Amino acid sequence: MANIAIQRIKREFKEVIKSDEAQKCAINVELVGDDYRELRGEIAGPPDTPYEGATFQLEIKVPETYPFNPPKVKFVTKIWHPNISSVTGAICLDILKDQWAAAMTLRTVLLSLQALLAAAEPDDPQDAVVAKQFKENHSLFLQTAQYWSHVHAGVPKGNSEFAKKVRCLQDMGVGEHQALVALSSCNWDVDRAIEQLFS
Amino acid sequence: MAAYKMSDDDMEYSDTDYDDYYGNDYEGDMDHMVPMKNDPEYFDVACLTDTEVERLLNESVEQLSNSIQVTPSLAKLLLHMYNWNQVEIVAGYRQDCHRILASAHVKPPQSTTAKDPGGENEGEIICPVCLGTIAPEAVGQLTCGHKFCKDCWSMNFEVQITQGISTGIECMANNCQVLAPEDFVVPLLKRPVFKEKYQQYAFSDYVRSHPQLRFCPGPNCNIVVQAKECRAKRVICTACKTQFCFKCGGSYHAPTDCETIKRWLTKCADDSETANYISAHTKDCPKCHLCIEKNGGCNHMQCWKCKYDFCWMCLGCWKTHGSEYYECSRYKENPNIAHESAHAQAREALKKYLHYYERWENHSKSLKLEEETLAKIRARTQNKVMAGTGTWIDWQYLLDAAALLARCRYTLQNTYPFAYYLESGPRKDLFEYQQAQLEAEIENLSWKIERAEMTDRGDLENQMDVVEKRRTTLLTDFLQV
Ligand SMILES: [Zn+2]
Ligand SMILES: [Zn+2]
Ligand SMILES: [Zn+2]
Ligand SMILES: [Zn+2]
Ligand SMILES: [Zn+2]
Ligand SMILES: [Zn+2]
Repeated sequence: MANIAIQRIKREFKEVIKSDEAQKCAINVELVGDDYRELRGEIAGPPDTPYEGATFQLEIKVPETYPFNPPKVKFVTKIWHPNISSVTGAICLDILKDQWAAAMTLRTVLLSLQALLAAAEPDDPQDAVVAKQFKENHSLFLQTAQYWSHVHAGVPKGNSEFAKKVRCLQDMGVGEHQALVALSSCNWDVDRAIEQLFS
Repeated sequence: MAAYKMSDDDMEYSDTDYDDYYGNDYEGDMDHMVPMKNDPEYFDVACLTDTEVERLLNESVEQLSNSIQVTPSLAKLLLHMYNWNQVEIVAGYRQDCHRILASAHVKPPQSTTAKDPGGENEGEIICPVCLGTIAPEAVGQLTCGHKFCKDCWSMNFEVQITQGISTGIECMANNCQVLAPEDFVVPLLKRPVFKEKYQQYAFSDYVRSHPQLRFCPGPNCNIVVQAKECRAKRVICTACKTQFCFKCGGSYHAPTDCETIKRWLTKCADDSETANYISAHTKDCPKCHLCIEKNGGCNHMQCWKCKYDFCWMCLGCWKTHGSEYYECSRYKENPNIAHESAHAQAREALKKYLHYYERWENHSKSLKLEEETLAKIRARTQNKVMAGTGTWIDWQYLLDAAALLARCRYTLQNTYPFAYYLESGPRKDLFEYQQAQLEAEIENLSWKIERAEMTDRGDLENQMDVVEKRRTTLLTDFLQV
């Protein structure tokens, strides 16, 4: 890997660890392996959002041409958000694409992702199903996103109605996450979810 | 020519307009091959080489640079960002120069200009990209004042150029969208291969942002076509002979417009399986049921056994395709379709599409077959000339006839998507009437060319005039681009 990329990542790694945000456990970063090509990021769900109390793991891959090209980032922790794929964790965020600037750092990226959790942009969606729910049935979206935070991202409490519906599908032999995806995409209509799963 | 007179006086059509299409220069033979100003397809274009385009662009750059007093490199960027609209730039610049420069990303919005560290000048400057200290002479900055070391700029440029980016390279600072102009980028490129690539990509960007310029879509052709107006008109590249529509860059499609032809081609691609069964090369003679193979472009078929004249498209008797009202090209819609079941409506929709598709596809095949006919005519002419029966000039009219036939059939082919999307009503009736007339005369011409040796030259030339007249009439009335 180019010298400049390694230098930058070393320095940015330290910058994140020593940052105020890291002290407050809002963001964090860990090395994966010892060549600075891949890192594991972590962001806390922002307060007053359905992600409050949750911790999200991120996969960060540093390209050969860093920092002239952006790092490749995706969510490892499953999340229900219009700009993040509920299936692959791929992110739609301008600074990770054409609005990247070489002077940006890992800290900028982590903080921008946190800001994205607080302010979604449903008109530029990564996940069309989520974006539709966000726009057409916002309260259900908030409940669903919160329930995903509970199931996947360490939030202690979750909607018991939803839990019952998931269990109902699990009793039919469907995996927990598969049931969650089907129900979430069908606005928690059990019959439609079953139809989607078994057709 | 009396034989081809219209039988229906109600139609808005006048034979006397005919001579006007060619202006006063009309003298016969070859003149009708050259489009004149009254020709509905006339379009004034110039085919330029890279060097000529370069010169043209540089003239604009120089003019703007002089009129608003900015460097040529910034002027070029401004022109590119404003689609080469000098008038708009100059007017805007006189009103509020900062707004124009900022909106073109030539300079930063006033509020965000990086503060000159001033007093810090004695202190060292750290490059935010490589984190190294920069010697004063190694600092590179755009109009925004964000400082980076020249090595980082170079590396950034090489990475961007590798990804095909040239005119769009921005400052490396966070949230700064100031663009790097040519005279900043090029001197910082160390390897000649990058300089070359940059110039090449930037040139394409400039041509693409210029409303009067189009790359010729011909394979490996470097010609750039210039037209004063961006219209859906025919361009024939002088270098590679590719024909295309100036506006959309696709194959020429008059009388259909760009959007309609795109819709049609998408539909044909989507429905290709449904339409596939049509590609038969043989049909049975409707009278004696002998299997007839189609080996020419002409759709006027004659069974070689029973001599029955029939139409390849509809298998109807050819005699009804002549002077009488010609029904073959027209699709007869079921007037009660709105009251039928959804299933019946779907079937009707498919039937209608296939009617137009079949004819579109058939004329495309005829074009190819007629190309073969042309090759045969050429070979035979060659033999005649060698045998001393006349010169090339004596037989040139046959080649002209074949070229005219191709041109007319091409237009005819493109009338089918037009008719498919045309709403029912008097306009569609008129269109289909003219389309039918054109089609009938084209098949007559094709028939005569295939039997050229038996056809009288004067008769053939009459037929050529009639066909081209029908084509021009249709385009004059319906080509609205
Ligand atoms: Zn540097
Ligand atoms: Zn800048
Ligand atoms: Zn060409
Ligand atoms: Zn077009
Ligand atoms: Zn027959
Ligand atoms: Zn017919």
